[in-house]
Amino acid sequence: MPALSHTRQPRLPGVTRPAQSSFTTVWKRLQRVPTATAALLIIACMLLVAILSWAGVTLSPYSYDQTSTALLACPSWAHPMGTDELGRDLLARVIYGSRLSMTIGVSTAAVALLFGTIYGAIAGYYGGRLDSLLMRGIEVAYALPDLLVMILVGVLIGRGTAGILIALGLVSWMGTARLVRGQFLQLLNEEFVEAARCTGQSSLAIITKHLLPNAIGPIIVALTFIVPSAIVSESTLSFIGLGLSPPACSWGTLAAEGWRSLRSHPHLILFPSAFIFATVLSFNFLGDGLRDAFDPRTRLDRKA
Amino acid sequence: MMLICKRLLWTIPILWMVATITFALVRVVPGGPFDAEKHLPPEIVANIKAKYHLDKPVIEQYILYLNRLAHGDLGVSYKYVNRTVNDIIGDALPVSIQLGATALIIAIVIGIPLGTFAAVRRGTAYDLAAMAISTIGISVPSFLVGALLIYIFGITFKILPVALWESPSHMIMPALTLSFLPTAYIARLTRASVLEVLQKDWVRTARSKGLSLQSTIIKHVLRNSLLPVLTIIGPLTAILITGSFTVEYIYAIPGMGRFFITAVINRDYDLIMATSLIFAVILIACNTVVDMAYTLLDPRIKVKS
Repeated sequence: MPALSHTRQPRLPGVTRPAQSSFTTVWKRLQRVPTATAALLIIACMLLVAILSWAGVTLSPYSYDQTSTALLACPSWAHPMGTDELGRDLLARVIYGSRLSMTIGVSTAAVALLFGTIYGAIAGYYGGRLDSLLMRGIEVAYALPDLLVMILVGVLIGRGTAGILIALGLVSWMGTARLVRGQFLQLLNEEFVEAARCTGQSSLAIITKHLLPNAIGPIIVALTFIVPSAIVSESTLSFIGLGLSPPACSWGTLAAEGWRSLRSHPHLILFPSAFIFATVLSFNFLGDGLRDAFDPRTRLDRKA
Repeated sequence: MMLICKRLLWTIPILWMVATITFALVRVVPGGPFDAEKHLPPEIVANIKAKYHLDKPVIEQYILYLNRLAHGDLGVSYKYVNRTVNDIIGDALPVSIQLGATALIIAIVIGIPLGTFAAVRRGTAYDLAAMAISTIGISVPSFLVGALLIYIFGITFKILPVALWESPSHMIMPALTLSFLPTAYIARLTRASVLEVLQKDWVRTARSKGLSLQSTIIKHVLRNSLLPVLTIIGPLTAILITGSFTVEYIYAIPGMGRFFITAVINRDYDLIMATSLIFAVILIACNTVVDMAYTLLDPRIKVKS
């Protein structure tokens, strides 16, 4: 590897192993887990559907708010998932709902990443009193159940998409913060941090160039688990009538609408919740796979 | 002993902060408890507000509230006329605890064996199936489980009641629905924990002295691997509380979660704050008890004070 020759890798005699970037290794290891690969494929499809829906490409012959005379129709060729009480095609609505559900999941993860990482990085890097103060803050935040905080905050800000996003963001950063802090506390003892300090690098540079890149694995794994829990939280809130409400259209509001006619038309709740389930399941399998792939101790090439 | 006292003392400021935060949140929310109804003459509204001290400045309301709390009085409900919050919670809390405890027992009874077998038969089809089941259990939204159970057992076969909380048969579906998530968590954690213990030297010793696999697992492995499982009782309580919101909503159970939801919708200030506080107390109590039990049960752990 001529490009890497200046990095002074320890060369043991007789050991020839091609140098790989850690991401290539993780990617290769991930592909050995069948469930994770399948999950990745499903997530890619779901994201594609959501993005296409944003872009205005309709994947269904009907639009999400187009009514027809077939009220509460059962699944058929014309309407693969049936129609709701206003005669709107459920497939079109589920596709349209994926926008909101996916956006909520991904942006919550982004908020958790940004805020949690900054919070955890400050606590872990500076340590001492600041650290214990910040950790006490997290303890108080943990003393209330998530859904309770979300309901209170959601009601406070208003039950629109913005309110839900802020409420979800508020309860999902703590895990990331704790994780980053823990990683930092471990990494701070490493020699390369000391070396960076000796060469006079600023704290910011040490955090962004040396500590964060080394903590990125667990952070990515944690993010993979935040997306599904945000999707479930949103749909649960909408389901019990304290989240989004129509005309907003997410998988949660669709399930809530379907709940009312469970007795006569169970397909109305079945399809939206099946989509939530498939997405969440995929993210969880992907997260499990990623965790194994990032962890050098697990051997994926041999059946353990 | 010092440690226990310290932990107990630390819960007071946390509770105070929770009370303050919910008080602030509830008051900032636009809309008061008497806005929703038909338009009342302004004099009557003024009278009602004066009765509940809602006409006073917020700071004074806050001090009044803290003072009442310190005396164990959670206030009155504005919506359920003539019922104090203590009264409502006295009715609702036992229901929720019963539901939560049943779900927890189901979760332990199913989750621990599932995880243990998966660990012992590691890498086999059984292990893969058990882990797949638990991932499904973590992923499935509780309203889907509830809807399916109601549809199958309540509507199609008509063998179980679909709602309310009256006889033991009313408890089956709600408790099952609520137990899905904790079962999956316990199974996963037990598996990881048993796997770790199985690699210890003394397990090999026990096996090589001729002890059967079964008694090795029961007498040696499980005892040591259940300690880490104990620690998630705290997060598990949080899961159960959160789950109870949906489950009590689905099955129309008069428990804490249901009252909280209606209280939020009705802006029933005292009831919102009281339910939030009680949820916080339960969570903190569980975490504290688990921390203490952990140090008592495992002599290897010495928490630095």
